[in-house]
Amino acid sequence: MLQVKKPTIALFLLPTFLFIALINIFPIAYTVYISLTNENTFNEFLQNYHFVGLKNFQSILSEANTALIPVVLLTLLYVAICIGSFLIIGMLTAMILNDKRIRGLKIWRALIILPWAMPSFVTALIWKFLFDYNFGPFNNILRYFTQNVNAGVNWLGSPIPAFIAVVVVNLWLSYPFFTIVILGALQSIPEELNDAAKVDGASTWQRFREVTLPLLVPAITPITVMSGITTFQMFNTVWLITAGGPFTDITKPGATDFVMLYFYNYFTTGAFTNYGKAAATAIIVFILLLIAILAGFRLTGFNREETAK
Amino acid sequence: MSEQSIPENAVSAAQNINPAMSASRAVPAVPAPQTVDLSYKMKRNIGLTLEYLFLIGMTIFAIFPLYYVLQASFNATQQLITTTLQLFPQSPTLGDYTYILGQTSFLHWLLNTTLLVGGSTFLGLIISVLGAYALSRFKFKGRLSTLTFLLALQAFPGLLAITAYYQILQSLHLTGTLEGLLLIYTAGSIIFGAWNIKGYFDTLPKELEEAAYVDGASPFRTFWQIMLPLASPSIAATALISFIGGFNEFALANLVLTPNADQSNITVTVGLFSLANNHSTPWGYFAAASVLVTVPLVIIFLLLQRYLQSGLTIGSVKG
Repeated sequence: MLQVKKPTIALFLLPTFLFIALINIFPIAYTVYISLTNENTFNEFLQNYHFVGLKNFQSILSEANTALIPVVLLTLLYVAICIGSFLIIGMLTAMILNDKRIRGLKIWRALIILPWAMPSFVTALIWKFLFDYNFGPFNNILRYFTQNVNAGVNWLGSPIPAFIAVVVVNLWLSYPFFTIVILGALQSIPEELNDAAKVDGASTWQRFREVTLPLLVPAITPITVMSGITTFQMFNTVWLITAGGPFTDITKPGATDFVMLYFYNYFTTGAFTNYGKAAATAIIVFILLLIAILAGFRLTGFNREETAK
Repeated sequence: MSEQSIPENAVSAAQNINPAMSASRAVPAVPAPQTVDLSYKMKRNIGLTLEYLFLIGMTIFAIFPLYYVLQASFNATQQLITTTLQLFPQSPTLGDYTYILGQTSFLHWLLNTTLLVGGSTFLGLIISVLGAYALSRFKFKGRLSTLTFLLALQAFPGLLAITAYYQILQSLHLTGTLEGLLLIYTAGSIIFGAWNIKGYFDTLPKELEEAAYVDGASPFRTFWQIMLPLASPSIAATALISFIGGFNEFALANLVLTPNADQSNITVTVGLFSLANNHSTPWGYFAAASVLVTVPLVIIFLLLQRYLQSGLTIGSVKG
């Protein structure tokens, strides 16, 4: 630590704080303020809305069984399935790319991490077409092999296929990151360890479980937590593909209406928006995210090093 | 494989103790029973074959979307609206490309996005690099709580505060403009940047700066001439990540920007979205536009990839 005069420190930090105060803190404070009023599309224009206390929160919690809780549970299910598949695919690809018997490893590696290099909003829109019921290639492949023109899964139009579709797309977008990180960790494991286990007569599976896996955990935990958090607040990709739908019942959230999409849809669809209630929803989502992130840090010991100083 | 990886010294030690073993090494034919050897070999070959099959499967999965959009962009548009399987262009044309470059505002979108995201990345870096240095090196009260506070703020998704952004932009007379969006994007990149670059500063030795201070250099000069060049890997990685993040942002851009008549004032994301979802525009147009966006980005990314690995400190493998 360097001892520097206070004005110098302030000068270094000033731009950061100015921007954060304007674009991060003010919006949060403003959202808290709106969440305590009854502002909506009508009285916003006339500027005659007023404080209503915690009424918005009460009304959200009173209907939590039909909206908030199902949406959060659906999001958690999505996170669990996604993270599980990232780990399995990432681990398998990394282990194979670490096998020196494979020829052309560099080429395979470049091909397999390609999705990482593509802009995700473009690929989301491409995937949307791939899943198209009438003209998308997936259904065309199905028709080609079944020789039945009427074959085809209504990927984005029925609940479970739509859910599977957004899992597949997220897997496609995210596994390369897992592959790279796990591959890096695998390469740092000294070969002697595995050989020693082999000499001791350990089977492939035993070597994986007892030698490799424990050494991978420090690398896997942080990316799992980070990825869990970003998946929980996923918006762009899912919205571009399903927009939260399909909606089978107007009064209920759609089949892929994850937390952020639910908020966005609530806020932007329809001519009438209850801003007060939307803001209250935002605050609740923020608190949920904060809990998830703090739990994640506890799990990874992310802050440990820093606080120990 | 296992023979090769026995450490050299272990082998020579064995040679000293047991000459018979070195003999068996020179003539490797202490024949194991044929059947055992075969089944072991077969097992290995099956394993290897399965690995290759998995690699091929994953490669098809990985490149199929890019391949499909690439071939579609050369397909005459009307041929895409078909229920028969088509994986190669029937009669390749450049029609979709000439349409995108000539009849739409595509080049404007690209310019808008580049200026917007380039600007916000640059501005965000200047601000966060200063903050990161102070947070890493200076001793002051509340340093740790500032760091934690920044992380907690990061948890607040910007999208949730859209009404507040609207109010801010309105009071600055920036509603519906790219400048307004630039402000929001800049702030969005500061916290990540500050944390990531701070983590990198932490790994640099203090002796260099201390020597500079002893020689009478000001904190700002030390920062500018000594520390900034040393931190360039993490600055590059932060820039790349901020740029990719901003480039892909859709939700805020879609809400903030109001397209004009010829749609020349929107970003690539909003433009491509309208191309993909407008049922009166053929999908081939979208395909050509996305190839024009994707290919340069893939090349840039592959070239800069190694910076990403050396300059990322958040969530990276520290062991």
